Parts: sequence; C-alpha cells; structure tokens
Amino acid sequence: MTRRLTVSRQQPEWLSDSHRQGPDYHGRTRSAIYSSHVNAKFCVGLFFLFTASAEVRFNRDIRPIMANTCFRCHGPDKSSRMAGMRLDIRDEAVKPLRDGATPIVPGDPEKSAIVQRIFATGARVMPPSSIHKELTDVQKNTIRQWVAEGAKYEGHWAYQPVQRATPPAPGNPVDAFVQARLAKDGMQQQPEADRRTLIRRVSLDLTGLPPTIEETESFAKDPAPNAYEKLVDRLLASPRYAEQQAMHWLDFVRYADTCGFHGDNALPAWPYRDYVLHAFRDNKPFNEFTRDQLAGDLIPDATRDQKVASAFNRLNRTSAEGGLQPKEYLAKYGADRVRTIASVWMGSTLGCAECHDHKFDPFLSRDFYSMKAFFADIKETGLVPDRGAKAWGTQLALPTPEQQKRQEELKDALDAAKVKLTATMARLQPQRAAWEKRLLDDYAAGKLVWHNQHPISAKSANGSVLKIYNEEPVLFTTYDGNNGTQDSKPGDGLVIASGPNPDNDTYTVTFRPGAGTWTAMEVQVVQDEALPGIRVARGADRVVLSEVEAEVSGRGKAPFASGMSNLNNPSAEFPPIAAIDGDLSTGWAIATYNENTKVALALRFTEPLHTDGDSTMTVRILQNSEFRRATMGRFRIALSSGDYSYPHQDAGKEIPDNVLKSLKVAEDKRTDDDRKRIAAHFQWAVPEAQADVIAVAKLEAASAMLEKQIPHVVVSEATEKPVDTRILGRGNWMDETGEVVAPAIPVFLGKLDTGGRRATRLDLANWLVDPKNPLTARVYVNRVWRQFFGSGISKSLDDFGSQGEWPVNPELLDWLAAEFVHPDWQAEGAHDWDMRHIVRMIVLSKTYRQASANNDERDPDNRLLSHQSRFRVDAEVVRDIALSVSGLMADKFGGPSVKPAQPDGYLMAMNFPKREYSASHGDDMYRRGVYTFWQRSFLHPSLLTFDAPTREECTVNRTNSNTPLQALVLLNDPIYVEAARAFAGNILKHEGSLGDRINWAFERAISRAPSGEEKRVVSDLYRSSLQQFRKSPDDAAELLKVGEAPTPSGEKPAELAAMTMVARALLNMHETITRN
Amino acid sequence: MKPCDCQIHRRAFLSRGIACVGLLGLNNLLAQEKAASHGVVNPLHHPAKAKRIIFLYQAGGPSHLETFDNKPKLRAEGGKPMPESFTKGQQIAQLQGSKLTCYAPQYDFKRFGKSGQEICELFPHIGSVADDICIVRSMWTEQINHDPAHTIMNTGSIIPGRPSMGSWVFYGLGADTNDLPGFVVLLSTGKGGQMQPIAARQWSAGLLPSKFQGVKLNSIGDPVLYIENPPGVNAKLQQSSVDAINKLNRAEFAALRDPEIQTRISQYEMAFRMQTSVPGLMDMSKEPQKVLDMYGAQPGDGSFASNCLLARRLAERGVRFIQLYHRDWDHHGGLKANIALKAEETDRATAALITDLKERGMLDDTLVIWGGEFGRTPMSQGGDGRDHHIKGFSYMMAGGGIKPGITYGTTDELGYAAEENPVSVHDFHATMLHLLGIDHKRLAMKFQGLDVRLTGISGDVVKDILV
Repeated sequence: MTRRLTVSRQQPEWLSDSHRQGPDYHGRTRSAIYSSHVNAKFCVGLFFLFTASAEVRFNRDIRPIMANTCFRCHGPDKSSRMAGMRLDIRDEAVKPLRDGATPIVPGDPEKSAIVQRIFATGARVMPPSSIHKELTDVQKNTIRQWVAEGAKYEGHWAYQPVQRATPPAPGNPVDAFVQARLAKDGMQQQPEADRRTLIRRVSLDLTGLPPTIEETESFAKDPAPNAYEKLVDRLLASPRYAEQQAMHWLDFVRYADTCGFHGDNALPAWPYRDYVLHAFRDNKPFNEFTRDQLAGDLIPDATRDQKVASAFNRLNRTSAEGGLQPKEYLAKYGADRVRTIASVWMGSTLGCAECHDHKFDPFLSRDFYSMKAFFADIKETGLVPDRGAKAWGTQLALPTPEQQKRQEELKDALDAAKVKLTATMARLQPQRAAWEKRLLDDYAAGKLVWHNQHPISAKSANGSVLKIYNEEPVLFTTYDGNNGTQDSKPGDGLVIASGPNPDNDTYTVTFRPGAGTWTAMEVQVVQDEALPGIRVARGADRVVLSEVEAEVSGRGKAPFASGMSNLNNPSAEFPPIAAIDGDLSTGWAIATYNENTKVALALRFTEPLHTDGDSTMTVRILQNSEFRRATMGRFRIALSSGDYSYPHQDAGKEIPDNVLKSLKVAEDKRTDDDRKRIAAHFQWAVPEAQADVIAVAKLEAASAMLEKQIPHVVVSEATEKPVDTRILGRGNWMDETGEVVAPAIPVFLGKLDTGGRRATRLDLANWLVDPKNPLTARVYVNRVWRQFFGSGISKSLDDFGSQGEWPVNPELLDWLAAEFVHPDWQAEGAHDWDMRHIVRMIVLSKTYRQASANNDERDPDNRLLSHQSRFRVDAEVVRDIALSVSGLMADKFGGPSVKPAQPDGYLMAMNFPKREYSASHGDDMYRRGVYTFWQRSFLHPSLLTFDAPTREECTVNRTNSNTPLQALVLLNDPIYVEAARAFAGNILKHEGSLGDRINWAFERAISRAPSGEEKRVVSDLYRSSLQQFRKSPDDAAELLKVGEAPTPSGEKPAELAAMTMVARALLNMHETITRN
Repeated sequence: MKPCDCQIHRRAFLSRGIACVGLLGLNNLLAQEKAASHGVVNPLHHPAKAKRIIFLYQAGGPSHLETFDNKPKLRAEGGKPMPESFTKGQQIAQLQGSKLTCYAPQYDFKRFGKSGQEICELFPHIGSVADDICIVRSMWTEQINHDPAHTIMNTGSIIPGRPSMGSWVFYGLGADTNDLPGFVVLLSTGKGGQMQPIAARQWSAGLLPSKFQGVKLNSIGDPVLYIENPPGVNAKLQQSSVDAINKLNRAEFAALRDPEIQTRISQYEMAFRMQTSVPGLMDMSKEPQKVLDMYGAQPGDGSFASNCLLARRLAERGVRFIQLYHRDWDHHGGLKANIALKAEETDRATAALITDLKERGMLDDTLVIWGGEFGRTPMSQGGDGRDHHIKGFSYMMAGGGIKPGITYGTTDELGYAAEENPVSVHDFHATMLHLLGIDHKRLAMKFQGLDVRLTGISGDVVKDILV
C-alpha cells in the first residue's frame, strides 16, 4: 500500500516524489510552507501538520533532499562521483575541491559552493536539468538555512542504536506516543469504535476471518471491563491467528510450491509452511525463528523442526532449463538470498550493490558479496533438477513414527525376498542357455508378436465418447522432443476418447480375438500431439490405470499374474503390478514427460487363456486415481501367444533392441552390461521365477508408495568446503577477476567477532537478532504496524535507507523495537523477541480501537493516526471471508497445499510438462487461502487478481488495488457462486420473514444490521430474482449445481436460487471485503 | 460532492499511496463524459507518432539467419568449424562443451519491394510489405535462457516484480477504452511442438497497481477469466445484481465518503461493460470473408492468424498495448522443417495485419513489432538445429513513426554479434516509448529507494529508424 509513485516534472506537484518524502512532515517552517509554490489549498491542509521548528536537522530535513538529488553523483558510489565532490560525509564536504571551491563552508552559505550552485540559473544550476530533479524553493532555502546553522551532520537514524524513550504519558505507550505527536498539531483521536466494528476489525486483523453472529452478540453485550482484552486473547490463542500471521510471513520469505523458472514444477516445500504455522501458534521467539530459518541445520544437535526451517534458504526460484549456465544461476540464487535477507531483516535495499556500490546508502558492492558468501556453504547446483532421483537437491524425509516403523519392516521383508530371488535365479541359471535359444527362435518365427485387437464396442462409464478406428484411417502426430511427424494410416484397433472430459473414467472394450491360446495382454497408450499434458492423457500430466481386468465370454474373469511396461522412466510408486492388485487406490502410470513415445503395459495371464472362434473378450480399464483427467486419450488392446513378449507398440520390438543385441553376442564375448541385460530379461521371462519376482516387485511397490506418502522438504545442507565467492564486477557472473571475499556483515555496521574462524550463516543470524542490531527489531515492528493501520510508522517497509521515509513517529518506532526485544509493558508471560506480545499491545491500544471516521482533513493520509484506517483485506482473506460466511470453510490446520478449482486452460502456456490442473476435492476445496498451492508462474487467478504476490521475489509490501477484474472474480468465480449458494441455504434456514432473514444475512456477512435503504435494495433483488427463477426453473437448477457442496433439502429451488443472488450481492459488497 | 471536497479527497487518496487506481477511478467519476482513462504522462513529454502498439512476440527465439539477416559467408562456411575468435569467452547455452560448427542458412534470401529489402524466401507476404517495414539486424540481449530472456525483453530487468512494457505504456498513457482493458495479451501455439513455457510474469504489472497488468484473452474457455455469468444467471439477473451491489456500495459511500468505495462502484460498472463488450469483440463472424482470407484466420481456432485479426479489432476499440505471443520458435533441432512451419503460421497474417492497418489508415499511429527474446546461433546444434543466441538477432517494425523500407544495423559476417549500430533491449524500449511520446527516463516508479524504469539505467532512442 505504501508504494510511491514518481512521475515526470510535468506532473502535478502533488504526485511528485518530493511531496512523499520525510521533510514534508517534519522539515518545513511555517514561512517555508507559505513560500512553497504548491497549490495553496494543499498547503492549508498540511500547514498544521508541520511542527514549527527553528532548527533544520540533517537527518530529518537535509538527507532526504540530498539522497534524492545529490548523492547519485556526490555520494558513496566512487564510480559515479563527479568533480571529486562527496556530500554524504561532512569531513569530505567541507574540504576544498581541486578548483578551489569549497562545497560547504559551515555557517557561511554564500561561500558554500553547493548553495551557490543550487541557486544558480542556466548551465551552472545543480542538480543539472538533465537529471530532471529540480529542487523546490523550499528545499533550496532549507539547505541554505542548514549551512547557515553550521551544517551539522547526523548519522542516519536507522543505523543509530535503538533508544527506549520514556513514554510521555501513562497507559499503553503506543497511545502515549501517538497522542503526544497528535497533540503537537492540536489534533485528537477518535473515540473507540462501536463494538460491532471493533470485533470485526480485530477478528479480521488477527485471524483473517469475520466474527460469527454469536461472537459479535456476546462481545457487544459483554459488560466486563476487560471484555475487549478477553476477546483479543481468545483470538490470539486461535490457530487462525497463526494462519493469518503465516500468510504475511510467507510473502516475505517468498514461499511457494513451485520452483518459478521455466517448467515451474512442484517443489517439496509445504512442511516449511507448517513450521511457520507452528512458530506463530507456539509464539516462538523471533530470534529463534530467525536462527532456525537462516541456519537451522547448523545449530548443534539441530531438531527436525530446525532442519525443516532451513528450507528458507532453498525457497529461491530455481531452474531446470536445459542449457543453462550453472555459474550464472548460482549467481542468481545467491543474489536472491541477499536481497531477501536485506529486505526482511535489515529493511535495506542491498540489491543494487550486486553491480555497484549503493548510490544513496553506505552499502558497498563488497558488502553484497560478503553477505552472499554466508550462503556459499549450501550444497546446491546451478541446474536444480525438477525430477528424478536427484530432484531438488537435499531433501529431508519427514515420516511419522508409524511410517518409519513400516519402512523398516518393508526393508527387512524386501531384503529377504531379494535373497530368495537371487537363490532361485542361481538355481535356474543352468536353464538360461536353452531359454535364450528358444526366445530367439520364437522371436524369429513371429511367435512373440502382439496381435492388435479390433474392438466391436468401446464404452465409457462417465460420458466420454469412445470411437473405434479399425480399418479407418487416423492422423497420428507424434513428437519426440525435437521432431514432429505426421502420418495417416488405419487405426488398427485404435480407440480415441473425445467429448465430455470426466475427472475419472472406466473404459470397457469388447473384441473377438478368434480361436487361440493367449499368454499375455497389452494396453498400448498411444501418444498424440493433440493431447494435452504429456500427450497421452486427456487432461493431467500423467496417465494412471488403477486397475485392468479381462474376461472371456462364458469363462469368467481371466486373472493376471504379473506385469511389465517399457517405460524409460518408470515411477517406483506406480509399478505395473499396481494395475492388477485389486486395489483401486494404487495404479500403474506414465508420470514423467520425457517418456518413450510408444508405451505399452503387458500383463501376463495366470493361466494361458483359450478362446474359440466366436469367443468375446471384454477388458475393463479403471482410471480412478486422484489425478484429474489422467485418462487415456488414445489406446489399443493387443494379445500375445508367446511366452515372453516384451511390451511395445511396434512389431519386431518383442525383445528390446539392446537385449536382442546382447543376445547375439557370443557367450564368451559378452560384456558385463550384456550379461546384466540378459539376466534381467531372463528373470522377467522364466516362469519358474515368477512367484519370487512378483514378491520382490510387490514389496518394492509398497516401499515406493509408502515413500511417496512421506512428506519431504528441501533443506539446507552445509558442505565442508564452501565455494569461493567473488566480487563480480558490474554483477557479471562471467568475470572471474574479482576478489574472493569471506562472509561478513556490511562493513559500516561493524565486524563479526569469530576469532578468525570463517563466519557462518549462524553467525549472521545471531548478529541479526543481537539486541544491539539497530535494524532488525525496527524493521520487524514497522511491518507489524502496517498490518494494523495500513501503513508502517515509516511507510517504506523495505527501505530504511536514506531514500526511505523518515518514520512519522521515531520515538514510537524505537520504543516498540525496544519492547519487542525486551518486553516491559504488561510483560507477564512475555519473553524476549515476543512476536505475539507486540501484536497484543498494538491491538489493545486506544489508537487501534478508535473509530475510522475522519473528521480532520489536516492529515489526509492519516499518518498521525487521528483515526483508524479502512482498507481492503488481503487476497486470501477475501476468499476466506466468503468461505467462512457461507459455512463452507474447512478448518484443518496445516498440511499439504491444496488446489482450489481454477479455469480450464489457465496453465496452457506452461510446458515441461504441458499440464492441466487437478483441482482438489472434498474439504480441500474449502481450505483457507494460506494453503493454496502457490504456482509462481501462474498463481491462482483469483488470488493474483486481488494482489497476492507471485512470490518469485521477496515481497514485504503488497499492493492493494481495486480493479474491474476483481469484480469479475467476486461475481463469477464458481467458488464465490458456490459460497453464495451455501450462504443462501443458511439464510433460508433462519426462521422468519424475508426482512428477518435479510437482517440475519447482514449480521453474518458484515456484523451489523442493514439500514432501511439496504434492506429495500436487497428485498427488491430477492423478489425480482425469484420472479425470474420461477419463470425459468431450469436456470435455478443450473445455478444450484455450481460447486460440490450439497444443496440443502427441503428448500424450493427458485427460492434458494433467488436467495443465492442476495447472498452473492452481500459477498460482493465493498464493506464485506473491507476491514474498517 | 462539492468540487473542493473532491480535491481534498483526491489528495487524501493519492497520498495514501494506493493512488493510481483510485485516481483513475475518480477521474472517471469527475469526468464521466470522457470515454478514456488518462495515464500519468499527461501531457505527453513530446508529440507522439504512435498511439498504440501491437507486438507480435515470436517466443522461443526465432533464427535471424532464416528470417531477416542474410549471411552469404555463413552459407559458404557451412559445415566448417566456427572460428574461435567469435565464440571464445562468450556465453553458450546447450552447446556448452560441444564442438562448434557453422550451420549454413537453410533457405535463400530474396530482395523485395522498391526498397529491395532482403528477407528470407519463406516470408513472401512480409516481403510484399517490405516497403512498409524496418528491419533491425543488430539487436542484442544479455539473457541466454528463455525465462529470464523473456523477462528482460518484457520488463527490462531479470528480477521478477518489475512492470512489463505493456503495463508501463498503459500506466503512462491510459487507454482509449473504458470497456476493455488497456493492455491485452493473446497466446497462440505453433504446430511444431517446440514450445517453451511463458510465465504470467511477462505481462505482470509488477510494482504498478494490478489494474495495469496485461489481461490475457483466451481462445478456450472464457475469453477473459470469469467474464461469463454463472450458470443460470442471465444478463438481466446479472445486471440487477450489479445494480444492487452498486446501490449497496453507494449507500456505504453516502455514509463514509471514502473514495475507494466510489472506485469500487466504477470498477463494477466497467466489469459489467466488459461482460457486454468482450463477446462482441471476440465474435469475428461479421468480418468479411475477404478479410478472413487475407489473414488466413478461421474464427475460433486460436491461431496466430486469428489473433492478428483480433489485434486489429482490439486496436480499433482503443486498447493501448496488444501483445501476441506465438510459441514454438525454439528450434534446437529440425530447424529446416520447423522454420518453414513457423513461416506458414506467421508470414501471411503478419503482412495482412500491416496491410489491413494501412488500408484503415491506422498504420501511421500503430507501431507493429515482430521479434522474440533472442536469436539463434550461427553454429549447428545436433546437425539440424541452432542453439539460443544473444549477441545478435533481428527485429522487424512497422508503422507508428518508424522509417519504412529500411534495414538498420548489421551483425558480423557470420551473423554472430551485432556489429554496426547495436541495439540493446533498453535501446529498443527507449525507442518504443519515444514513439509514444514518452521520455523513457521520465517514466519511473519509486521502489526501494530507486526510480525504477523500463529501461533501467541505460537506453538510447534509436533516432536513425524514426521518420
């Protein structure tokens, strides 16, 4: 909310930057104000705000002007310094220059070059017109006065030690400081807001949810003097408070569920979010919270939680794009960490120092790289794989004790089964030579061929249209990663699914195989470019066959004994036998995108299967996985009579190419690889080994499936030998000439005392949360302040440097910072670095509790807090309000991210893999926004529309916009329609007249009764909608079908639909999504 | 409301920092007779040549060597080792560690038009408008992978969170429409299957209020997300709902006088107008067959050709910045066949758009841009493809104050690096803004203590290509 706008000089003055800087609030004397060329009416407004102050102060008045206009060329950055003149340090500024002029002669403005030049005209004027930073008359006079008064410099406020001033009055010090500041301008605060407003405000701020009617009533009527305090303590103790605080924190640390670059695939990160949730729930001290995240893995005897917290260092965007230059990306990752830590803990804009010394603040380029060097110990690669065994680098598995026990059991069983299989294979070894001969003979004689079956019928259980192509020509478009080919040929038994695209489906295919004896059946999953995702499924990024069954007419089911597929990259948790294990929750899948283009799944019958000339065979393929639309788009069924036909879609591949090659090598010429390949094929083929092979396969599958259920999270892992960190000239990662730097804090802030040992991330964390650190506590409390007033005490939350805003009430900021580090006020039960304590004391203040009505236009943007502020709630809360008011919200705390429904095709510009979205079902549809799966490159559109950041980069300061797209979301996004429908059901459940019901609905949505006018508007909407829906009952039925929540029984559809329109209007009200 | 109240409120509003949207909303309120929203560059820094931009963004990195940059020497050297003097110490993507061999251009070039501009033979339609276009052969960028290269081309920075060029332009100039977003994005997909992903970051408003983000019009599902009424809610019901919501909000405004509420009301009005105007915009059935044929567009097919036609319709309706992404230019392999496929998909429609705009008298004030995030190596990849390349590539521009019928800048004899008159991404942005009447150095946003600009801290207007 506090981003400033700068525009050209031709813009109206009130938009320009100079009016958004500190001096406006503090610096000007009355005469200065009057002499301003600013629109007079505006001045009248500000006039009372500015304390008459005889003395000009450097920090308050001069530094912001110079930072904006002078320091670019006469500041800390050597490389862009002009005329050898430096103005940010007094000793330099009073020295004569080469040309004899002296920039500043303290006490003598007319002899001071800077005063001469700023008042000059034409070519001599400073700053030069080319930089478009003209000084106002007020600014020029202020500088002149400062020089006249002796040009006294001050250290920058944010780098001075925190000073705990004695509050100017008894009571809550927040009020004492705020009221003292207001009193200087003769201003007063508003009285306390009414109780309904108050409970709604504090509930939304602390928990992100509006109060229920019962909560509102009970608070409104509570006569206890500490009624409000009880309310606050109840809210603070709620898990909803932790969720609300986590929502903010996750923006800062750029938490997301995907890696951000290129394919933007899912990153195992959510246990870190649970860590954050638990930290706020348990009110973890902020110093520990900091240490855990920056260096949890380095803490001696680190707990599991501390290791999980260290995921913080791994939440930066990473890329798996082929052909990336690893060094370049390592530079990007390191820079991201420096920017994040500088922003979140230090309120400093260190990012610019990647390429050059900071232009306005005393950060050097060396500081940037010294900070980066703290993270040089983290094990990482430039290309961070997004799949396969090495995916995401170091991960921590988080099994429950039960899962751990099961893991051990499975491992023991698997070891035993493998021993048994090895023994069996040793016993069967003598048969191998004979088997090899038979295999090659059968192959040569064509006995292994797969016979594609031509269906006579193909049916879908859930409405897909299955069309059979036997002799009919079909266009096949395949793509192997580099080349596309198109070919038109007869389908040869191909079945193509089209039409409705259900989430799950069962395909039933019938064909007449003719007389024969069959040993195995094959499902060919046929790829085509027309299909989305990995070009085999109708929707998802995978195909999952949960179960395959076959049956011969008159003979009943033909059970399968084992399975095999020709996947290049089989997924251990989706093994072939999972498709024949009778368990619908498991399945075989094609689940990676760089797959064989001719995938087939072969299933061996338990007994050879005999068919007659007129036998009919029916195959049922159940596709019931949790993945939406992981259903085949094109497939065939084939049968084989051979004893060991390897699965494939092409004739001649019944022995894999490489095995065939090895088999043709004479026994004594075979390499180890040849022997391994043959042995594996033999093991798969020889019937006598099958029982043992299957036993191993089943245990492997069980282990893999268990492994998949165990949550994982990326974590930091330190290497013994940190990589060298060089200063990169102009940020150029290819420049290897820069000096190697050791980890260090920015030089001007001091030096870590490590006794000569290389400083670590833990040292950095300890320095950040050292009570003497001037930045961390101030930065933290300033951000917290924003949550409760809409703006920080300094509104530049991420810039406490000279370009940031001077805090509007520095004593208050400092007092809060000191209180954060060592609680003193009502501090029973509080601890050092107490995050909840600070929140509690702010919301208990009168300043927080006052009404929002503004009757004093002297402070139009309410920086001094003569009243409360009104602002729209955050994106997640917009949704949470609708879910909560409607009664749909699921209140589960923590756990994996969920995927609320979003429009089809929203992810169409993504690739590697192409994908379609599998929305969550059941309760997971109604989880709070904080649990939404955060897809960085395409964040859920409703959240994005309400200004949720993509978290590609650390964000401490969300924008808060008001757009037509927001209206479209609230009006038409199905979740809001469903919420309205559910809300309407509850409104109708409320006994009474239409008027009573409307009263109830307003109370529920916005914690107050409607006015007569509001009631009339809403009743009119109800009546006209009812008329409409009575006329078109089909419309009512359509509307009531939106979403998955059940429609309450006993309600008439037209009434329910009409009330849905009412509920929808209420959920769309500005007031509903505004915290007042 | 008395006028002076407005003043105060407006200031109150602006100084709170959520300013811009509120300002525009309030401007609408104050001047309801005006059909357009203004931007912050008002008045313009200098007279504008272009009023709007249609950017035909060829995503994936089109080969300059098979489009606009004729390199006979490279043809002669095909198959021979690439001289190390060109490549030593340079960034390399997928060819890291490979032997580098010259790969001859796979198609001939021809001279077209009176200007005699050299264009690859695969693009005869673009050739037919050769006298209307300017070819820039000396573009260069600094990012060699798709995602960051797109990001710098669109936002001038690789750090996420910077506004995209469309957002800057919309923010700077506003739009000549109140029924449609001022910045629209269209996406099409080629048939070759070499499709790199594109993140929504590419049209994000970044630090600017989200009102200025690009709105993607979709070819499947709702053309604008959530533009369709819920099932069972007809236009009349929707209207009465929006009316009721606005009445409720007006009641709140009457009590509180918070300008943010007024903005909300006008946004609901605009949303409702969008619901009405978008279907008409998307319905190309009334376009004469002749026009459809000229573009090669089949309404509803979501093709690049259809999007070009849609772009013209958007331009006519006052949209300020229209960006068409056509994906599928990432020709690491199978370049010869695939570049021909791309030419088939883009050549006719690109030329048709220029011709159509010209016939309607709109080319003079519409800047059309054709190009991608980088070019491709003169070296072969895998014998039949080209790798990513940043040191030199081509752009094509037309209309909106661009000098027609000229070729500007060169690459070296092998098409490796921009040699004469190199044009950086920032130079390109500066030039684009210049044509719109904006001085790139003066369109800035304060962020973390810096004046953030589309052109970062550099960028020079390429004066030689201006009329």
